[in-house]
Amino acid sequence: MKTAVVLLALLAATGCAVDTGPPARTAERFLAAATTQQGEIACELLARRTAEKLPDKGQTCAQALVEVGLRGGAVKSVAVWGDEAQVRLDGDTLFLHRFGGGWRVKAAGCAPRGDDLPYECEVED
Amino acid sequence: MKRFLKENSLSLFFLLIFALALIGQAFAGNAEYNDQRLVDGGQPISVVEYVTTSDFAVDVAENWQSEYLQFLLFILATVWLVQRGSPESKEVGKEGGGSDKEQMVGRHAQGESPGWATADGWRRALFSNSLGWVMGTVFVLSWLAQSVAGLAANNAQRLAELRDPQSWGAYVTGADFWSRTLQNWQSEFLAVASMVVLSIYLRQRGSPESKPVGAPHGATGVEG
Repeated sequence: MKTAVVLLALLAATGCAVDTGPPARTAERFLAAATTQQGEIACELLARRTAEKLPDKGQTCAQALVEVGLRGGAVKSVAVWGDEAQVRLDGDTLFLHRFGGGWRVKAAGCAPRGDDLPYECEVED
Repeated sequence: MKRFLKENSLSLFFLLIFALALIGQAFAGNAEYNDQRLVDGGQPISVVEYVTTSDFAVDVAENWQSEYLQFLLFILATVWLVQRGSPESKEVGKEGGGSDKEQMVGRHAQGESPGWATADGWRRALFSNSLGWVMGTVFVLSWLAQSVAGLAANNAQRLAELRDPQSWGAYVTGADFWSRTLQNWQSEFLAVASMVVLSIYLRQRGSPESKPVGAPHGATGVEG
């Protein structure tokens, strides 16, 4: 019985009380910047690998991001599991990862492909 | 102190190697977890942080549930099922819960019998099956913990792969949960079957899990 108590305590420690606010705010700030021609601010909220992969040759991240033409909207739902999050908005679905410096956007402009397949994203790492 | 250690050496030995193995699992698991995080573009975490993750919890729980299930089934199955020649089995023909006299309960209880063996009603019924109830309870709780921790670990992985997270119901009827569960169960069941059968023909001198070296292969329920 003692083992079960320890295990349940362990489970409680793994985080049943999830704070969905930080990834939601990062997603909103990211889309607010990306949809108002503030590409540099939006790029700072991208995960490093995503920001590096986004631009074509001769382009900056900011230029590439504005060119994608992401759509903003109100947050509809947030799912957080471990260091990963999915934020669904009216016009977009974003995937975020929690780094040492906070939540950063790994993928944006994502649309479901059905059959439990990964989303197809216009911006991803 | 010396006497305490001697009289409890079997329990203490297993508790000690359990703790060492769990610590080893934490460090090895942390190294593997950090490798994956680096591949995924994340940052490594400390072993203290790792032991609070769902990844560690599910790896621990999936093994615990199968071990407790193994012993639960062995405890209950050996009430009714027998194996001729095995020291793990009762003699053929003695299947079942036994008489009150054989079990030393009620008026057949002896001076040093536990109090609830003497008692009537629910207390005796509960105590008569307490080993099974506790092992069963730990099994169910561990399996439940595996499902919750497994859901969390699996959903984190799914989000990292840009897939939708699953509900608990979808997870416990899905491949990850049953793959983790059955891969543990099959090994436990094989180990028990091996022990029951091999102990018919093989001996380990001095071990109560074996028959005495000179006992015939056909002798059942004889411990060395």
